Order: sequence, then structure tokens, then C-alpha cells
Amino acid sequence: MKGLLTTTVGSFAKPDYLQKARNRHAAGKVTDAELAALTRQATKEVVEMQEALRIDIFVHGEMERGDMVAHFAEAIPGMRTGELVRSYGNRYYHKPAIVGELAWEAPITVDMWRYAQSLTKRPMKGMLTGPYTMVEWSFDEHYGSRKEAVLGMAKVVHKEAAALAKAGARYIQVDEPAVHTRPEEDFDLAVKAMEVVTKGVDAEFHTHICYGDVPKIYPGMLRLPVKQIHLAFKNTNFDLLKLFEKVPFDEAKELGLGVLDVHSHLVEPVKEVRDGIRKALKHVPPERLWIEPDCGLKTRTPEEVRAKLAVMVAARDAVRKELAG
Amino acid sequence: MPRIGPRFLGASHLQTTVVGSYPRVSDTPEGQRLRRAIARWERKELSDGDLRKVQVDVLQEVVREQAGAGVDLVSDGQVTWHDPVSHFAAKLEGFEIGGLLRYFDTNTYYRQPKARGKVRWVNPITVDDWVAASSAAPSSAVKAVIIGPYTLASLSANGPTHDLLWDLAVALGNEVNTLAHSGAPRIQIDEPALTRAKSLPKEYDEIVDTLLEARGRAEVTLFTCFGGVGHLLEDLEALPFDYLGLDLVQGASTLEALRKRPLEKPVIAGLLDARNTRIEAPREVAKRALALADSVPMDRSWLSPSNGLEFLPRTKAREKLRVLVSAAKLVREAVA
Repeated sequence: MKGLLTTTVGSFAKPDYLQKARNRHAAGKVTDAELAALTRQATKEVVEMQEALRIDIFVHGEMERGDMVAHFAEAIPGMRTGELVRSYGNRYYHKPAIVGELAWEAPITVDMWRYAQSLTKRPMKGMLTGPYTMVEWSFDEHYGSRKEAVLGMAKVVHKEAAALAKAGARYIQVDEPAVHTRPEEDFDLAVKAMEVVTKGVDAEFHTHICYGDVPKIYPGMLRLPVKQIHLAFKNTNFDLLKLFEKVPFDEAKELGLGVLDVHSHLVEPVKEVRDGIRKALKHVPPERLWIEPDCGLKTRTPEEVRAKLAVMVAARDAVRKELAG
Repeated sequence: MPRIGPRFLGASHLQTTVVGSYPRVSDTPEGQRLRRAIARWERKELSDGDLRKVQVDVLQEVVREQAGAGVDLVSDGQVTWHDPVSHFAAKLEGFEIGGLLRYFDTNTYYRQPKARGKVRWVNPITVDDWVAASSAAPSSAVKAVIIGPYTLASLSANGPTHDLLWDLAVALGNEVNTLAHSGAPRIQIDEPALTRAKSLPKEYDEIVDTLLEARGRAEVTLFTCFGGVGHLLEDLEALPFDYLGLDLVQGASTLEALRKRPLEKPVIAGLLDARNTRIEAPREVAKRALALADSVPMDRSWLSPSNGLEFLPRTKAREKLRVLVSAAKLVREAVA
């Protein structure tokens, strides 16, 4: 049967040898070439893991990325890499700053995408951080207007998306975890920015939204010009599906159903995931329902990732079997 | 600089203060000792007492850094707080602490409390930190900061219900009492949630009376940030606080209301942008401060950042403090 395709949200756990090499590289004890070789090796392992697990649409695992904003900030003219600021508790991140006119000079993600795609016949997703999130998670010392900064960033992300599509990426995911920061004030801007990113690019666009008050931007989020919207469902035990009882999900869009809690060490029982998929099928038919973890998997160990994804695929297979009758 | 007339004379006393939080780490290895200590404590490799030693060490460093920059009235930097909400809720009786939610429109998160019955004050929450801070600077130069009842209720899962607001007025009133009796000369009540309220909450004046009942001789500020309070100014001025703290960057809309309706009450004028790494010229800030002279009693007011400095990296927070102090100096010189 068709439908219930599986994919993941982007990041995978970095193996120990790579994390150590990244630390040593930061301290100047590992060369760029050595780190690049290890990054490729880890990427190859991520691809092999997805092959073994029979995932449908692959990701490259983001072994070369530290932080989803900083990675792009380092490469975008007009941005300065940042110093540490606290996010919550004992969590910190390097927050970059926009210090000049934003521009796109050369592809940022295409080489790694090409390499990962060369390792498999399955489609490899292109992975980008969206313009609203890029700006919201940076300081703006240049534009002085969120609208100008976000639309300036959207042009940069658009060029990167176009480069990925030109290289052959059929699927491009544009992550917007910050999109609900100011829903009343800014949602039109986020929609407009996504239009700039996707316009004229020949690929299927997905977006991933997480952290924070997702119900606040529903059904507004259906205006985002993307084929698929992916949301975390497992972390609320699928309660978020109730959103679709009042306003049904868009019939022209695919729903990315998050079925694995990425903040829990516990490996979900197959039954829990299967039941979640069944619940979602009451709102969205299998052709438009994709099965995925709640969020990126970089917070889990490689062993946990393997075990959780195996459950996800087994649950999907079980539901497919039921549907085939 | 605008032309200086007699109406500006009051600004010759303009002093500087901060709003509360301050970056607790910096990018150097030494600057991250608190981060490492917490990680070790979480792995049970460090005792509570040893963690507290590192916290106090960093807290006092932060106090000295602010005082060293020339800020007249500093804070403990809130370096021991997980977040501005659960730091209080977790130490009051009657709350359970839940998952992470976005703190206003920032990129920071707080653990959302939920009241499970009557909420009560049991032990001092902020006194130890105020005492630790006061031993690193003259105690007259260190303010104590606590969350206000409306903000704590609004950010809890319950929302600002009548019962919860009154429980919190009494509970946080106990904290005010304890701080005042421990010798804190200045106490600040943070009520950022008021910027999101269309009007003052029902019975808020009586809630504030209860909150401040045992303030003794302490001078108390109401601080609002992350937005404007122009629509509430008249009601806020009528409350029995000694100072009104205003975010005049993100809440720049308040400036228009101030022009239309000057305040008799002195303010903490949050004119320095505490959420952007762009460093203002001291002249620029001084000009904005002088423009306020027709609207507030400058001789008794303070100049400050728009909100806590913790949203900035440490190096930028330091630069902002220097700009703050230089700007106030420019204002005083312009008047002299």
C-alpha cells in the first residue's frame, strides 16, 4: 500500500568519536581535513542505519552542524557568530548577530547533501533553518526592523533551497521552531517569508514546528505555503490531534506525525506508537500522513535512536498491515 | 543634545541601576565554572553545599562587575534562579512545577507552575542571595528583586484567578517582610505580565496593599517590561509604590502616554536596549533621558536598561553597563 511514509526530523546523535574530534578541533588539535573525514564517516553510518531500519525518506543526520542557527550564521555574509547566552536552566547557545546586509554567496548545505545522497538510492531531504527562526534566534544590529530582517533572510534561504533543488533534492525541509514566538504580531510575516523561500523552487517543501504554544498558530499555520507540516504529537500523548476536531487539517497538505518523544530515554512500546497512528488516521488519510519522531534525535544516544526508530517502523508496518486488511 | 533649560535641573542627580538578571557565564573556561558545577551537581558528583559555594562566588563576581562599572544600585544578577517564575513557585508551598514554556517573547523558557490548593510562604526565598550580594558591595547599593503576584499567577497553569492572586499577595508579602527585616533598603517587584493586561487586574490595589503591608522602611519599585504600560499609567501611579520601572525600548509606546500625562512619581527609566547587542552611543541614551525631563521628576529618577541583561552575552552586558553609566554622566554634565 501507499502512504504512511517514514522519515526523521533532521539531526541524529553524534557518535563519541565525532564529538571528541569536534571538541579537539575547537581546541586546534584536529585539522579541518581530519574532522571532515570523520564527519563523512559518521554521515555514512547515519545513512546505513536508515537503510537497515527501512526508513523511506532519508536525512543526512547533520553531523557537520553544532547548532541549527549558528551553522548557517557562520556561512551567511552579514552575520557574526555569537557568544553564549542562556536558554533555560543550564542550557546555553551561541547566539549570532546580524551586523550587515544579508546575502548568499555560495551553497552552504549542498556538498554535504550531495555526499549523503551519493550513499543511497532513497531520497535524501535537504535541511534548512527557516528565515523567521534564523532572525528570532539572532540579534539584529543592522536592520532595526524584524520585517526587513526576516524578509532579507528569506531571500538567502530561498537561494540555498534553489541550490539544493538544482543539485537534485526532491524534498526540502525548512525548520521554523520559533514561528510561534509572536503569533498575533508576526504570523503574516512568517507566512510571507516562507513564500519567498519556496517560490519557484522545484521541490516538495516540509516545515517542522516545535517548542511552545503550537495551538496558538492553528489553523493559521495552514497558510504556510508548504506541502507538509510536521508537529510533535507523542510528547502530549497525541492530545494535540484534538486541534483537528474543531478545524480539520488542510486537505491539500501532508501531516508529519511526531510519534517518538525525543526528550525521553524510554523506548516507546510499539503499541503506543501504533495507537497514535490509528488516532491520527481519523483526521488524515494514510496518503497524506507521514510517520516521524517528534523532533531532531541529537539529544538521544545512537543506541536509543536505533531502538526508537525500529519501534516507529514496526508500528507503521503493523498499521499498514491492518489497513491492507 | 537638546538645549538645556531650567526644567532639566532635576537631572543633576540622575543615578543608574539595573533591572535584575545578569549573564552568569561568559565564553572563557573560567567564566563557565557555574555551568560546569551545575552539570556535576546534576550527575551527583557535587554536593549541594559545594554547588552553593560556586553560585555565591559567581553571584559576588557579578555584583562586583556591576558596581565596578559604576552602576549606583546593582542586583545579585539572579544567578541562582532556574527561571524568574519557578524560582519562586518551587519554594512556595502548594505549587507543582511542570514543563517548559516560552518566557514572554524571549528565547528563554520557564518551568510552568500549577497551584494544587492553597499557596503559602514557608521559608525565605531570596534573602540568602541578597545577603551574599550585600557582602560584595555596600548593602545600600544592592536591591532585592522578587516576582509580583499578577505575573506569577498569570504564568502559572491556573492563570490569575481571584484565589491565587490573594494567596500570592500574602505569600509574597511575607517575602517582602523578610527582606525588609533583613535590611534590604530597596525591593523591586517584577510585574512584566502587566504589559499584557488591558486594565489593572480586579482588586489589584488591595492586593498591592497586602503585598507591601510589612515593607517597613524599604523603598519599593514596581517594574514592568517586555512591552508598554501607557494605558495603565494613571492606575499604576496611584499604587503605593515608591518608583515605577518602565521598559521604554520594547515599551516605547509608553513615551507617548508620558508626554500626554507627566508623572509625579519617580521612575526607573529603562532606556538602554537590553535585548540587542547593538551598543548605543552614550549620547544617544542621554538625549532620550533628557527628553523625559518634562514627563518625570528626574531629580529622584534612575536610568536603567530596559530589562534584565541576561539575554545578552557577558561581554555585551558589560559594554551596556559602561554606556549606561556614561549616559547618566552626560545627562548630569549637560545639566550642570
